[in-house]
Amino acid sequence: MPRFIRFLPYVLKSLWRHRARTALTVSGAAVALFVFCFVGSVQEGLAGLTRGQQAERTLVVFQANRFCPSTSRLPQDYGRTIAKLPGVADVVPIKVFMNNCRASLDLVVFHGLPQDKLRSARDLKLVAGDWGEFEKRQDGALVGRAVAQRRGLASGSKFTIGEVTVTVAGVFASSATEENYIYTHLDFLQRTRGLNSVGTVTQFDVKLAEGAEPQAVAKAIDEQFRGGPIVTDTRSKGVFQAKAVGDLVELIGFANYLGYACVGLVLALVATTTVMAVQDRVREHAVLQTLGFSCYRIFSLVMTESLIVSLVGGVLGIGLAIVVLSFSGMAVGTEGVNIAFTASVGLAGTGLAVSAAVGMLAGLVPAWQAARAEIVASLRHV
Amino acid sequence: MPLVEVRALTKEYSKGDQKITPLKDAHLDVERGDLVSLMGASGSGKSTLLNMIAGIDRPTTGNVVVDGTDITRMSRSKLAAWRAQHVGYIFQMHNLIPVLTAYENVEMPLLLLPLSSAERRKRIEIALDAVGLADRADHYPRQLSGGQEQRVGIARAIVADPAVVVGDEPTGDLDAESTEQILLLLQRLNKELGTTLIIVTHDPKTAAIARRRIRLEKGELVEAGAPILKRELQRA
Ligand SMILES: Nc1ncnc2c1ncn2[C@@H]1O[C@H](COP(=O)(O)OP(=O)(O)O)[C@@H](O)[C@H]1O
Ligand SMILES: [Mg+2]
Repeated sequence: MPRFIRFLPYVLKSLWRHRARTALTVSGAAVALFVFCFVGSVQEGLAGLTRGQQAERTLVVFQANRFCPSTSRLPQDYGRTIAKLPGVADVVPIKVFMNNCRASLDLVVFHGLPQDKLRSARDLKLVAGDWGEFEKRQDGALVGRAVAQRRGLASGSKFTIGEVTVTVAGVFASSATEENYIYTHLDFLQRTRGLNSVGTVTQFDVKLAEGAEPQAVAKAIDEQFRGGPIVTDTRSKGVFQAKAVGDLVELIGFANYLGYACVGLVLALVATTTVMAVQDRVREHAVLQTLGFSCYRIFSLVMTESLIVSLVGGVLGIGLAIVVLSFSGMAVGTEGVNIAFTASVGLAGTGLAVSAAVGMLAGLVPAWQAARAEIVASLRHV
Repeated sequence: MPLVEVRALTKEYSKGDQKITPLKDAHLDVERGDLVSLMGASGSGKSTLLNMIAGIDRPTTGNVVVDGTDITRMSRSKLAAWRAQHVGYIFQMHNLIPVLTAYENVEMPLLLLPLSSAERRKRIEIALDAVGLADRADHYPRQLSGGQEQRVGIARAIVADPAVVVGDEPTGDLDAESTEQILLLLQRLNKELGTTLIIVTHDPKTAAIARRRIRLEKGELVEAGAPILKRELQRA
């Protein structure tokens, strides 16, 4: 057991002595780390859109020069043509319907898929309800966990957006991005009065065959329909999603600065507290040195104090952020794509590392001052 | 061989172009088990001398040898480790750590030594018992009287069983009754444990318990009863 554990009671009691000050600093650090994690979770969600097998090995075929899904209309029989192209393993026609095309914190996106394709094309684990019920019901819907949390939806409840009313047949868990979708039957969405879109779909998801080159296949697809009535624009799913939320990316980049500012804030806060703690105890540290405490020991005592304040605040803030993020299903979306606020172990780890680094950095100068202080002069200090 | 040997010790402070020399070429031997009092006018350099013997201040020139070790040549961290093992320091204002109990205050110097918590406990109990505060172990400094606080301070100074214990006006802040108690305690420690004590004081009553009384005058040490000339002749 390291020797320094012996000194921990002294460090903790010193912090406890000024508990009001300690508590204020800890809560300041907690708030800052909470915001830091929130910003980080948006960043993670954004990365989630472009990462992984789905994003890289799936192409999205969309109508050319259209952005909002409600404006893209492709003939459904394009699917058969695409399926015959080399490098294509599977084609999934999708009808998209949503409540809002602009940037929103409450973007609800329905994806209508043919019943037989949904299970193979998506990796959904039901956490409530069952597949049988979904398959049986014409208006059945499988709701992503994030949407269910946001909207308070449970199995059996009815849910209406505009002209579309569905019955929740199940709630599913999947990747953070997926959990922001609501899946329905394709023909149900196509036949909904007002949408008036029998025979057309919004997009095709094209699953690439083993070894197929995404760029080449995308080019071949667009080539195919160049002279046709409706021209297509095909990209990998990752690129497609990144482009859809393009307007938000700048905002998110700005939010990053907010995250860095929070780190700076904790640094200033913890440093101030540690400087005060050292100035309060000039004589006490000189007494300890007289008893035989080395400069190194004094330095590490002050560092430990600073580290504890920063880490306790960090753990509280990070913990709260993870809880809130996990149970609120928050997301920001636009043009049919949601960026899920994603709480991950990696994010918590980053937060902790930041807290620790800030704690050390904040303690450095005061710890150095305390360690280098002249004993005799400090003993006279009042 | 004397336990403490002060050799040609000089301490100079310069303030602007003015030079203050509280100690000039001071010599002093303290034998093991002795009880020495150090008197002198205010500002005569008593604390300065004591602090150099305790290894918390450094001379301008000269040496302090304690138990055969020249402490003036040690690095700062070596000196700290040396203090932990060899010196006990009794402050004028007890200087206890307010957030720690009497027990924990006395434990502080022991935390630096390679002792198990059981060994520490035994030593702390002996030290607190010696100063008559075994029943106050869990009290915080603010719950103790001035005299009791000083006794905890003494327990902290002796707990590591140091070669030499120094005190800088250990009764300077106390009323007559507490002073009496502390003096008795110091005498007992010296007689029963054989602790070598060097006590700075300006109180003749405190000086009276000493076997040897030394005065600091104009930077030089004068032995009471033995004029400095005689000592110099002895040394020569
Ligand atoms: N850091 C310092 N700088 C300048 N002068 C000092 C310093 N410390 C002590 N002195 C001077 O050295 C002299 C001796 O001080 P000190 O040993 O504390 O005296 P005493 O303990 O006998 O009252 C005094 O004149 C004091 O002003
Ligand atoms: Mg003095």
